[in-house]
Amino acid sequence: MTFSAPEENTLGVVVNNARRAVGKTARRLGRASAHRASLGTAFLGLGAAILVGLRCVYGVSWFIGVWGRGAYPQPLAALSAWIVLGAVVVGAIVTSRVIGDRLPDWMFGLFLTGLLVAVALDVIAVWELHDIGRNATAALAAGMALLVVVTVRGSSEILIAAGVLGAGLAVVIFLDTPPTEQITGEWIAPQITAVAAAVLPAVIGVAIVEGFRRMVQVELDRVLVQSTVSAPRYAVGMLASEELARLDLAAEELLESIASKKTALPLAPKMASVAASLATELRLHLIEGRRETWLYHAVSESEMLGKAVTLVDKSSLAGLLDPIQRDGLLAAAWLLVGDTITSNASRTVTVQVGPVAPGETPVPEHKILIPITITTTGVARNRVDPSIWDALGRVGHYSDHTQDSSLRVDIECLVDNPADL
Amino acid sequence: MDLITKERDRLLQRTARVYGLSFTLVALLCFVLPGAVSGAALIISLPLFVVLGVAQFRIGISRSPVWLALSLGAGLAIVVVTCTVGDRPSQAGFTAVLELAAASLAASGLVLTSNAPRIAALVIVFLVVGTTLLLLTSDLQAPLRTAGIYVLGWVLPTLIAIWISAGVPQVAKRIASIGRAHRAERQASELEAQRRQGARLLHDTVLATLTLLAHSGVGVTPEALRQQAGDDAKLLRQLRLGTTPTPNGTAGATVGTATSPIQVIDEPVLGTTLESVKQRFGRMGLQVSWHGTGQVLLPSDHLDAFLLALAECLENVRRHSGVTEAHVTITEDNKMVRAMVTDAGVGFDISDIDDAKLGFTESVVARLRDVGGNARLFSAPGSGTTVVLEVPRGDASTAEAGQ
Repeated sequence: MTFSAPEENTLGVVVNNARRAVGKTARRLGRASAHRASLGTAFLGLGAAILVGLRCVYGVSWFIGVWGRGAYPQPLAALSAWIVLGAVVVGAIVTSRVIGDRLPDWMFGLFLTGLLVAVALDVIAVWELHDIGRNATAALAAGMALLVVVTVRGSSEILIAAGVLGAGLAVVIFLDTPPTEQITGEWIAPQITAVAAAVLPAVIGVAIVEGFRRMVQVELDRVLVQSTVSAPRYAVGMLASEELARLDLAAEELLESIASKKTALPLAPKMASVAASLATELRLHLIEGRRETWLYHAVSESEMLGKAVTLVDKSSLAGLLDPIQRDGLLAAAWLLVGDTITSNASRTVTVQVGPVAPGETPVPEHKILIPITITTTGVARNRVDPSIWDALGRVGHYSDHTQDSSLRVDIECLVDNPADL
Repeated sequence: MDLITKERDRLLQRTARVYGLSFTLVALLCFVLPGAVSGAALIISLPLFVVLGVAQFRIGISRSPVWLALSLGAGLAIVVVTCTVGDRPSQAGFTAVLELAAASLAASGLVLTSNAPRIAALVIVFLVVGTTLLLLTSDLQAPLRTAGIYVLGWVLPTLIAIWISAGVPQVAKRIASIGRAHRAERQASELEAQRRQGARLLHDTVLATLTLLAHSGVGVTPEALRQQAGDDAKLLRQLRLGTTPTPNGTAGATVGTATSPIQVIDEPVLGTTLESVKQRFGRMGLQVSWHGTGQVLLPSDHLDAFLLALAECLENVRRHSGVTEAHVTITEDNKMVRAMVTDAGVGFDISDIDDAKLGFTESVVARLRDVGGNARLFSAPGSGTTVVLEVPRGDASTAEAGQ
């Protein structure tokens, strides 16, 4: 076994540098849940596929109508446009159902090329009519066909494709203008509608899928953090044991490589400093690891709470709260942060737990009273979600005020006295 | 209300905003084309378009029905004004009206499916707008065709809303199962961390060896250091493979033989563990002589702190004192267990300790104080060093709780 230096500083919890640790945790969890963001989008994709199918049926019936009137200057071009589009759409639907995750770049390229060919053929078919807006069929359905891949490709890619298609249609329409005297509102309106019909479905589809992914992300974040509610009074957090294990392994490999004479003694200065930093990190992990409460881990592990919530809990009193109280407190914090009526970053929440002031209020036997103060900025009293009061009620007796035109809540939280357990 | 339901409503609201605003824009573009509608209707309608746009924007962030009503009112007013004020709208004007009634206003369908009153409102709005549209534009296009487009325009967003709403419970179920898995994972991770952190004695010897290595192993024979490193690596491997090994005093002699040198014990008896510390330093070339009490019972966290402090002190003696012998005297009374570590080495000036021994203060003294103990240091250049470590005994019940 040979030893290699740890790739990065693995300290998860450094007392005077908690911000960094928090950011790292959030990043790592964010990465872990990024690929889960595709949860449920398959169902949306199915809906989109059905819509595209219906749109194509509508487009084809329109095409048959024009064909029947004998209005096509180049009927074969129009027919091949529909054949290409149909093949591309069917192929894309089947492929994205089978692959389910992310469409490979080359397939996406093929798909876009197919759409481009269909649009070009359809434009050629109706060019001599000088009224693309009213006569194009496959070209417009091609815009909607982008919806087939809306759940398996990035939003920006779809938007760019839709934008290019819209701009392309506009240019083609402009190049294909009829004699000037025919250009009236009567002529322009269908052109506008046509471009909109080609572009807007993709835009709306992207908006829906983005919103859906965001919803899933937020809910995942919340559910993952929710598991801290059942954590013990002091906990090491999800990553601490992993980091401790890594440190142990690094130490084992170093010691092993020395024992097996792979590393010469006395150690080179570089290896010696590796050993020193390993010892320091290991020591800090062993000593400091168990001082944090569930609330600290909840805040630091959550992408949403981590950004907005500051926790002040010098005596780690939050660990004394029972699961129902924790659930209430977490839900309240979540509602304050997550209920973004205006999605600005100016909204912050500070949760201060303790200090315990003994003897001020009579408390039942074997209980102590922990004051919890939630101060906020940018949260108007009348704008908070009403269900927050129910959540706060689960934590304890509370009173709310407005401080600096933002909500402030004082909670008197009764918990079991740890000395009596 | 469920938080995910809230998120779903937010999603539908935002979709309604994008949907409504897009088609409002398209309608407006057709509306302002020259000759589309009469001048008077244009002037009256433009402010209404602004109201419509603002209301549709607000729908995206507010669940209040006021904005919905405002957008529908403004949209309906535009339809009525366009068709009744001044000349009849041209075909372009009719396109604008149709975009407005059948697409832009239909966006309300996205936010009007979540409960019974809202669905009722949706039906009423659909009928009112549809009737108005058909009555006012019957001369511009065959009413049947207008009605077809209108119904299609309203059915589409409503179906989208229903489809999304149907997808949410499935996702919620899967997310909940991920949450359950995560909770189990968290508990497992917590237990694992406890197990690793609980292996304090093991980590103490590993830390001592690493500290030696940090000084390039100077002052210790390479053979002894290799032996120690090998022992520690074995202990770590066993920890990794799932048992909680405890360093044994005789580990150096028996590691690698058939009888396992590792004892999975967690008994807080000072005697055996002191012996392991002694063995370790003996191998590094520091003879430790024990005096006083042989067996002391301590709660495990007290014992950990005590042993770590002791080992750190001995390591300092080994490294800095210049002598090869140290004396440890263990005494106890009803409340405290004390260890006095003395050497006859070079000693040092106490005032130098601040920066040089910061690690010592941080890790040892702080940890002793955590369990209610303390450390005191006496030294002067040339006259050796004495460290007094003390921890409270705790009684049997605390010892139980300490586990």
